[in-house]
Amino acid sequence: MIDLNLILENLPSFFGGAYGEPVLSTSDGLVMTFQLLGLSLLLGLALSVPLALMRVSRNKWLAWPVWLYTYVFRGTPMLVQLFIFYYGLSQFDAVRDSWAWEYLQEAYVCAILAFTLNTAAYTTEIIAGQIRNTHYGEIEAAKAVGMSRWLMMRRIVIPSALRRALPAYSNEVIMMLHGTSIAGLVTLADLTGVARRLYADSYQPFEPFLMAGALYLTFTFLFVWLFKRLEGRYLAYLAPRKH
Amino acid sequence: MKPIEHPNAVAAGQNGNIKLRVDELFKSYGHHEVLKGVSLTAHGGDVISIIGSSGSGKSTFLRCINLLEQPNRGRIFVAGEELALVEDKRNHALKAAEPKQLARLRTKLAMVFQHFNLWAHMTVLENIIEAPIHVLGVPRDEAVARAKKYLEKVGLKGVEDKYPSHMSGGQQQRVAIARALAMEPEVMLFDEPTSALDPELVGEVLKVMQDLAREGRTMVVVTHEMGFAREVSNHVIFLHQGKIEEQGNPREVLANPKSERLAQFLSGRLK
Repeated sequence: MIDLNLILENLPSFFGGAYGEPVLSTSDGLVMTFQLLGLSLLLGLALSVPLALMRVSRNKWLAWPVWLYTYVFRGTPMLVQLFIFYYGLSQFDAVRDSWAWEYLQEAYVCAILAFTLNTAAYTTEIIAGQIRNTHYGEIEAAKAVGMSRWLMMRRIVIPSALRRALPAYSNEVIMMLHGTSIAGLVTLADLTGVARRLYADSYQPFEPFLMAGALYLTFTFLFVWLFKRLEGRYLAYLAPRKH
Repeated sequence: MKPIEHPNAVAAGQNGNIKLRVDELFKSYGHHEVLKGVSLTAHGGDVISIIGSSGSGKSTFLRCINLLEQPNRGRIFVAGEELALVEDKRNHALKAAEPKQLARLRTKLAMVFQHFNLWAHMTVLENIIEAPIHVLGVPRDEAVARAKKYLEKVGLKGVEDKYPSHMSGGQQQRVAIARALAMEPEVMLFDEPTSALDPELVGEVLKVMQDLAREGRTMVVVTHEMGFAREVSNHVIFLHQGKIEEQGNPREVLANPKSERLAQFLSGRLK
């Protein structure tokens, strides 16, 4: 039977309530998951727009390195990337002696780094694909009114591509929400990390993971709803006419 | 379609104010030569129709004028200023020597496309104010006022917040014409503006173009509409296999074609 008491007693620990030894606190659980998700999505999106422009560039010295980057990061599991940053880098003296070591020894920083580079790779490809899909007539119209290449990118191509990227990007956001659950494997106490602690202390795996799963599911629904609204607003021009 | 007078047009041969001059334009795709030295001069108020069967090079010629296609040889003057052209090493055609000059001259040559080419993610108003604000540097209020004025001119009201995909083809093309007008260009280039429209929508677009001609706007129109060529334009150019086969006053040229090609071309059409 499901032990409802275990769930109810430990519910606060998922939302930043103090728990156990070493103590979990306000920055753990849901807060940790959303910090990891929010920061890596924000940084990843900021990186991916310029990277996507490089990816579609006719200059192969710009396009090729980005192709290699997205190929490598999309071709390997995010968990492996996280382990390489957290465990792998410390093996090198050059890394340990550098100024960056102060940050790179932190699991939190390594997780943000791995998640950011991973989501940036996927998002770059999503946006680059939509840039390539831009209707050629719209580009000609932009040229014909005297727009420079950069102005055309900034005013026509990128805004249009970002809108059309929304449906695919909403999948990416949900994949990342789920993907952050590996942070627990490098000592971070995100939702899954908290569930693992509860399991370790109670020897009851079902209830803590059920709780974590229910929270992921809730936020997945929330994101789906949010993106539907965004699409309703920013992709209204693709919707059938309403009159 | 009723014939119109051309108040501002200067009779050919007179050295009036020349808005657009194209000298001896050549263009080839690989070994296939599509334009073999086509020239054109448009004075203020001229409405020049370019006709010819498909493959005659008429659209290519129009698209070379604002360098959407790269010509291989020829000179282009817009409002008296020559567009500086240099060889493009990639394909041995010509490209603009100075991108800034090309951009500036393009603002004086507004183009209306066969497939409208409105920016799909922008509303009608956004489409029209975009280039005046961001290319010409017109203040937003003024650009909006311009947009409203030209939308009214093309017979559209209350459509500012609609998206192009939610309008009929004829309405979209009239928005595209308003977008071109909002640049307040020296010359308007029309690339088969009614060819993609359902037959019952052609009339509304032609009527707008006729009104523009009557206002004395300088227009170069690639068209299949013989009624428009005959009644609205004051000069017609018949292109055949990349050369001007015949040109002149449309009421004479189209009524009594001198070349066999044009006679053949016209007999293949009902009006």
